[in-house]
Parts: sequence; C-alpha cells; structure tokens
Amino acid sequence: MVSGFRTCDIMVCAMARLIKDGNTVFHGVSSHMPMIATMLARATHAPNAVHLNIPGGVDPKVRKLMKETSAGFELFDNAVSIFPLQEVFDLSMRGRLDVAFLSGIQFDVNGNVNASVIGDYHKPKVRMPGGAGSAVLIPTARRAIIWRTKHDKRTFVEKVDFVTTRGNIDRIVTPLCIFKYEGGRLVLDTVHPGVSPQEVVENTGFPVDISRVRYTDAPSKQELEMLKRIDPTDLRNIEFK
Amino acid sequence: MNKLVSLQKAIELIKDNDLVALGGNVLHRAPMAACREMARQQKKGLRLIKTAGAMDVDILCLAGCAASVDAGFISYESEFGLAANYRKAVQEGRVAGNEHACYTVISALRAGSAGIPFMPVRGLQISDLIEVNDYFTKIQDPFSGEMVTVVRALAPDVAVIHVHEADVNGNAIIHGPKFEDVLMTRAAKKVIVTAETIVPDNRFAFAKEKADVPHFLVNAVVHVPKGAFPCDCPEKYGINREAIKAFKAIKTQEELSSYLERNEATDYQGRGGGVRAW
Repeated sequence: MVSGFRTCDIMVCAMARLIKDGNTVFHGVSSHMPMIATMLARATHAPNAVHLNIPGGVDPKVRKLMKETSAGFELFDNAVSIFPLQEVFDLSMRGRLDVAFLSGIQFDVNGNVNASVIGDYHKPKVRMPGGAGSAVLIPTARRAIIWRTKHDKRTFVEKVDFVTTRGNIDRIVTPLCIFKYEGGRLVLDTVHPGVSPQEVVENTGFPVDISRVRYTDAPSKQELEMLKRIDPTDLRNIEFK
Repeated sequence: MNKLVSLQKAIELIKDNDLVALGGNVLHRAPMAACREMARQQKKGLRLIKTAGAMDVDILCLAGCAASVDAGFISYESEFGLAANYRKAVQEGRVAGNEHACYTVISALRAGSAGIPFMPVRGLQISDLIEVNDYFTKIQDPFSGEMVTVVRALAPDVAVIHVHEADVNGNAIIHGPKFEDVLMTRAAKKVIVTAETIVPDNRFAFAKEKADVPHFLVNAVVHVPKGAFPCDCPEKYGINREAIKAFKAIKTQEELSSYLERNEATDYQGRGGGVRAW
C-alpha cells in the first residue's frame, strides 16, 4: 500500500475524475462512494456538474453526511431545486443523463451485469437486493460508471449467472484497477498504484491483457484534503469496514 | 367527512391477498407502525409494491404476511446490510421476488393511475428480467414499427403512506422527499394515511402550501406519532440504530410476537388509540 491514501481514496478520486464539468450525474441508494465522488468533482474540476439523487435535491450542499444512507433528507440541504427519482429516470430515458453510478454483484467479459440472483430466478440459491435502477439506467445513461469493492473471480466472471442488464458501461472501478468497455469486451484501463498487474490477472475470472499497463493517477494532495472536508467521518471507507 | 380511526380499524381495510403499495424509500418515512399492525393482524398473501424497500418488506416477510414483492431493490443500504428475512423467504420459495427496475415500478404505477393496462419503458432492452417475469413483454410500437418493452399496470388495492400532517378528512402533506408516495395514492383504489400530527380542518385552506394528497382519495386517517419508527421521518426524527439492530436480531416467531407487543404502546399512542374506533 502506498502511504497517505487508501483504496477507498483511490476509487473515489478515480470516480470523481470520470465526471466532466457540466455533466448531469446520478447516484442511488447504498452509494456513499459515488455520492462523495460527485461532491468531490463539484468541489474541484467540475463545479458545473449537476448532482442528482433519489430524494431529489439538486446540487445539495450537505451539512452532515449520514452513515446509514445515501438517499436521505440531508440531500435536500441547500439544494436549489427538487428533481426527484421519477424525473431523473425520465431524464435518462430521453437521453439527457450523462453519468449514472451503479453497481452489481457479477460482471462478465461481455459487459453483462448481474444484480439479481444466483441460481434459478424463481427459486434462487441467492436472492440479491436487486438492480435498483440499473436495468433501465445502464442502457440509457450516456455513461454508466460501475463501482464494486470486491475484485475476485466470483465477481468478474466469464459469464454471469443472470443478465440484469447490459449497456453503456464506460468504466468499472474496483479496488485493484479500472476496466473499460471497448470493442464489446471489458479490458484493462489502468491498474491502481500499489497493485501489481499480476494481482489483477489472478483475481479476474476472464483473461486480462497486461502487455501494456497504465496506472491510475494517485489521489492528489488537494483531492485528499477536499475529501476530508467533504467526508470528515470517513464514510467513503464504509464498504471496506 | 371525518375518517380518523384507530390503527387497527385502518389496517382492517387491507384484505388477505391484496396488492399493497408502501410509501417511503429504504429507511426513510416507511409506514412502519402500519406494517407492524399488518403483522399483528396476521394478514396473508399480501402482494407488496415498493421501489426500494428495507425494514417494511423485511418484517412482512418475517411475519408471513407477504406472498410477493414487486420492487427494484430490497436491502437496508450499506450500514445495516441485507434484508435477511426477505432473502430467506424468496430463497425458500415462500415469497415471489418480482424484480423490477425501480423505474418499472414507477411506470406500472403511472399506468395504474392513468387507468391504462400497461406502459412502455425505454431502457429495459437487454435483460433476462423480461423473459422470466410475466409482467414484462415486448410489443411492436404501432407508429414506428420498432419493438418496445412494456410493463403491466399496477393498481394497488391499498396504498399505505406515513406523512407529517393530515386533517381528519384525509388531506395530507409530506415534508421533505415525497418519493413515490403521491403517485401511489393516485394509482391505488384505497388509501390509508398515518400521520405524525393531526391538523385542524382549515389548516390547508389557509396555508400557502397545499396538501399533497386530497381528502377524496383517502379512506382512513390514523394519528401515529413516530409512525415511521425505527426508520426516519425528515424534520421529526432520525433512524433508531439500536431498534433496527434489535429487529434484525429476531430469529423466531415468538421473538417477533413479543417485538410486536412491545411496540403496541407507541403504535397506539395517537388520538383514537389502538382499541376504540373513532
């Protein structure tokens, strides 16, 4: 581990940098990391990015982030307008949502996402929480950015058990690397600082080409300071605890 | 018309096998006192509707009240983890986990509220959910000739929502995020409102901010302070961590019964109480 920052910091900064200035950006429930990434982007390189969320507060300036949720009343704090979930979905359906942050349980080399079940759908071995907005947002958002805090061979597989959805995946940010979707396949984009390319290969259930490796930029001093201000109680690390 | 009744009377409006929409979102403003009362009355076969649910769906699965859950997401979010009772009930085949995208629940309710049989949904294009669920199918757009996915309408028999203020006639207002509650009241055949506060009859007539739900849609009003407990109610109270953990630790039906009994005093504390009908 490189000193001064942790995996969650690398992931949140990487997600923030994927947001371009002026983008409309949405995150849902159980989404502390992308919520903080959106706030970080707006506080640094993308001040005109538009922060959209489930309760519907547009561009909130949250006084206190809540541990139990990324969809609570705090997202109304100092918001300029109310644009709730129903309208965010409509926005995406008509092609005007730039970035949607989503997750899942299994991802395959062809860009299929499973957030539903392991085993038979009607009598599943494992019933997962469900894809929430994924099935309609991943195909319609201009860029779907996936984050997943587990990177192992059960998560990144050759073929998913169930296709909840497939669509405009732009990047998948994991604790080890960033995948991008190119030519109909997931390929390695960058490997995180402190991680060896071989580790990515060993923990991925489909072949990963590491002949030419680029590395994810480490979080900058400015980003890390801003993160402490936005998220003083360290909720960006919640999925690693 | 005065519709203020006890929680017990109100929940008696829900019949076994009813299609029941629950307001709120995950741990926010869920109608928890109403759900506990459904469990006490041992409702059977309820077909639940929710975009993103947590403890409400979980308790109704534990109590054996639910036959199916139409929802996009069921979990307590990151801090409290999975909805274990829902999960177990689906895995054991006792409850049908009818997975939607949250948006297809909204689209189905919109169809219900408009009195039409189905709604086209852009976005749900490539998904195994279309093949395995009978409430999704693809049809030809009669205008462009292209194929479009449609979702069958959901017109709940009853919508149950928890609000900040209501008058005895049923006019009701939600402060803060309204989630899908208002839409649910438009799509449902009957509406049960539990309210933190009962306000005077003329409250909305003289206020700048009008009621979100008009009285003529509402069948029962119940005064239930802390009606979302242990979930939150914006501006009123936050979540109660200990109470959520205590519920999540319940393993047996006996523990559930004593849990429901322990909560009677708070659930029945409002005007009208739990015994006497108003």
